[in-house]
Amino acid sequence: MKHISTAALLALTVSTLTLASVQAGEVVWWTPNWGEARAKELAEKFQAANPGITIRMEVTTSDGLPQRVLTSLQSGAPPDIMEVQHGWVNAYAQNDLVLPMDDVIQDKDDFNAAAIQNVSWEGKLWAIPYRMETHGFIYNKGAFTAAGLDASKAPETWDQLIAAAAALSKDGKFGFAITGGGEVGNTIFRSLPFIWMNGGNIVSDDLTTAVVNSPEAVAAVKFYTDFYLNGQSPDSTLQNDGTANRRLFIAESVASYQSGQFDINSIRNENPNIDIGVGLLPHPEGKTPASILGGWSYVVPKDAKNPDEAKLFLQFLNTSENQAFFTDTFPVRQSAMSAERFKDPILVPFRDMLQYARPAPIHKAWVQITQAYFDGIQRILTREQDAQASMDQANEEIQALLDS
Amino acid sequence: MSHSLVRTGLPRPLILIGVVIVLLVCLFPFAWMALSSIKVLGELYTIPPHWWPDAPTWSNYAKVLFESNIPRYFWNSVVISVGSTGLALVLAIFASYGFARFNFRGKPFWQAFVLIGQLLPTAAIIVPLFITLRVLGLVNTYWGLILVYMIVTLPLSVWMLTSYFKAIPVELEEAAIIDGSSRLGVLFRITLPLSLPGLIAVLVYSFVTTWNEFIFALCFATDSSVKTLPIGLSEFSTEFNTDWGGVMAASMVMTIPIALLFLVFQRLFVGGLTAGATKG
Amino acid sequence: MYLRRHTGLLFALPALIVLFMLIAYPVVYTGLLSVTDNKGNLVGLSNFAAVLKPRVTTQAFINTLWWVGGSVVLQVILGTATAVLLNQNFWGRSIVRSLTLLPWVVPGIVAATTWAWMFHTEFGIINYMMTSTGAVPKAVNWLGDPNLVMPVLIAINVWKLFPFVAVMVLAGLQSIPNDLYEAARVDGASFWHEVWHISLPGVRPVLTAVTLLLVIWALNSITIIYAITKGGPANRTLITPIQIFREAFENVAFNRAAALSVIFFAVVIAIVFVYIKVSSPSPEAAK
Repeated sequence: MKHISTAALLALTVSTLTLASVQAGEVVWWTPNWGEARAKELAEKFQAANPGITIRMEVTTSDGLPQRVLTSLQSGAPPDIMEVQHGWVNAYAQNDLVLPMDDVIQDKDDFNAAAIQNVSWEGKLWAIPYRMETHGFIYNKGAFTAAGLDASKAPETWDQLIAAAAALSKDGKFGFAITGGGEVGNTIFRSLPFIWMNGGNIVSDDLTTAVVNSPEAVAAVKFYTDFYLNGQSPDSTLQNDGTANRRLFIAESVASYQSGQFDINSIRNENPNIDIGVGLLPHPEGKTPASILGGWSYVVPKDAKNPDEAKLFLQFLNTSENQAFFTDTFPVRQSAMSAERFKDPILVPFRDMLQYARPAPIHKAWVQITQAYFDGIQRILTREQDAQASMDQANEEIQALLDS
Repeated sequence: MSHSLVRTGLPRPLILIGVVIVLLVCLFPFAWMALSSIKVLGELYTIPPHWWPDAPTWSNYAKVLFESNIPRYFWNSVVISVGSTGLALVLAIFASYGFARFNFRGKPFWQAFVLIGQLLPTAAIIVPLFITLRVLGLVNTYWGLILVYMIVTLPLSVWMLTSYFKAIPVELEEAAIIDGSSRLGVLFRITLPLSLPGLIAVLVYSFVTTWNEFIFALCFATDSSVKTLPIGLSEFSTEFNTDWGGVMAASMVMTIPIALLFLVFQRLFVGGLTAGATKG
Repeated sequence: MYLRRHTGLLFALPALIVLFMLIAYPVVYTGLLSVTDNKGNLVGLSNFAAVLKPRVTTQAFINTLWWVGGSVVLQVILGTATAVLLNQNFWGRSIVRSLTLLPWVVPGIVAATTWAWMFHTEFGIINYMMTSTGAVPKAVNWLGDPNLVMPVLIAINVWKLFPFVAVMVLAGLQSIPNDLYEAARVDGASFWHEVWHISLPGVRPVLTAVTLLLVIWALNSITIIYAITKGGPANRTLITPIQIFREAFENVAFNRAAALSVIFFAVVIAIVFVYIKVSSPSPEAAK
């Protein structure tokens, strides 16, 4: 077995060489490409104020980010700070891959409660959420007027939305686009709020029972999927994620859909002719809207080389001013909301939606639970099952996940 | 040579039809990509879609060549692909010769062993591979990716070359050995020249495979000094948006040099054929 | 014949050592993960039980068979046919050969997204061409129809890899000595007779190797499916490697992913062994 010892010897030599190359006081920061310029500015500011610490940025892209993050976490050679979505944090905490962050912020009250809840587990905080957003109802005012609808306000109730979608769907156009394809999260973000508004849920609050086949949940699922089955959501619904819906909206094939404020700029750039209207997500008569809170957080991996310096830098990144500067959507700090850039009138409904935003349930099998639910939605959209039968099957699968 | 004989082959019309079909199949999506690369943003997603851009633009190419990281990553890709293809070819020539020309104990086992890296799902090996590279100190280096790509290129190279070597009549080698040639002499003077078309096919294929590899490059080369072209492609996407014009233009920049390279290699193909014919 | 005992192994050794260095740890690591939990405690076979229980595992396994079978058979047939065609003498042959390569030179992720775009019910050029020429009355839901989606994905996979078969087989065809053909022509053999009795037997070793590689790649290929359908709709295109990918990178359940990988590995290695035993007669006979 000569080759084993050769490999071992080689490994030994090289590893002694590389150990020396880890620099004290260097914080490696993985930050996504869409915020690169702002990140650079913040890093330079921080370095100027803290001469002993250097910030080394490594720019990430959204393609394959979860794989890249997990590979580095699992293999014990992660950077010092990573930016990840709120929803990913819990799995990292439960697998003991990230450090608790309770010592980083002292004024937790200033942070949005749902965002904090999103990244908490077993009473500890596992990430610093800095950015948050939620969906609103986006519509084409011109299309509304053309269909004889009141374009000055969005439909407020489910019945109004159903009526509007019917009126808007003609001449090969579609009234209201839902998603039925792409990553699971797309459809969760768009359909789970309807279940919540109707008083239902996917799993019970104590996370022991699957409740997705309850009458409230099934009614909401039927409400959601009927837009496609009745021909008011595009034929391509099973292929479409949020981005595809935006493109269909830009192509004026779709008159309304759900999305976040991040879509507004794209629409304005690519089709300036559309007069964009935004409203709250429609709710059942006599009830209130609901939505899922999304956004991004900073985590410090357990195997980070310089966690103390990293936390110092995080305190800097999470001052009210810097959060307001760095976020793509809204900042998690309430005090940062007063910044000038959040005063654009079109943002008001998105901002108002935040008060109805909830974190997704926190359970170790949540991703699989959502997958089972999403499979159920797709079974309805492919007309394999009706809403009740499909949710019965999903319920059974989800219960099995909760029990295991 | 065969020109003196009556030529047999497919009738001309059949060849023509066949070639047209093959070209249509191969070029149809490619044409769509090429046309998309010269469209402005507003023309990319239209209903109904249109083939020809109303306002063709080179701005996507300007962006790719002058404003993106693509040119820098292009060089990284060249180094890594040339390195891993070359290394794989050298290792594979010897291994394949061993497999094609000798019988030894456990040969089926070792032949299967060559494939093992590709039998384990990527999702399963990526973390331990990263650890291996870290122990070797090769994360974020050219050598790291070149080595890791052996998992991808060696199975292909070894298996294909073995099959090409097998196809060469053993008698040719035996004659040379009787004439006093060494084993290595036979390999380099007889076997390799005779299998030149196969060598080139394998070389081009390994090159392209590493050229386009995404997930290993993503995880093992996080520093921009070693990032490769597929990572460059993903940099045209942000969280909720993809600059498709840019991606398509960058894809053209990635693809066309390879196709041209292959066109040049065609000469060698023909060269290999003639050499084989005269010796056979 | 060359019978010196270790010479062959000696030739193969450098390649084997390099692969061993890379693969040894991942194999051990995967094996260990499959019998432990996320804290590193031994848990026996419970991970295996957990991944085998859900209905979806069986469904994924059946889908994988379709995916691999459909892809490989079509790739080999179309690739070989293309190789025979490109081995003919005609003007512009070398340009056509280069152009045939394009599907495989295009990066996988870009090819997949482009196809998804072209097959899109609303934005897609394919539906547009078919409806505007009257070939179909109404836009076809290529990627949303549960019965169409797998065949469409297989077609895309075939498109991506048939050039590989074509190029490899073509290289094999070019190595067949001319005198074999000449002898046949003297006897007045037809073109099809030549293909059947000289060309195809001549490239048999190449086809054997190509088929094995295609099977392995199809078994391990997730790019096309993941980029286009993510395994949907309703798991109609979920294949086992995507299930493993989901377990590892979406559910952060590396132990279950490892267990599934071990099962997958065991099945595949068995197939490979049988294939090698059956397809490679002793060197004497192969000659």
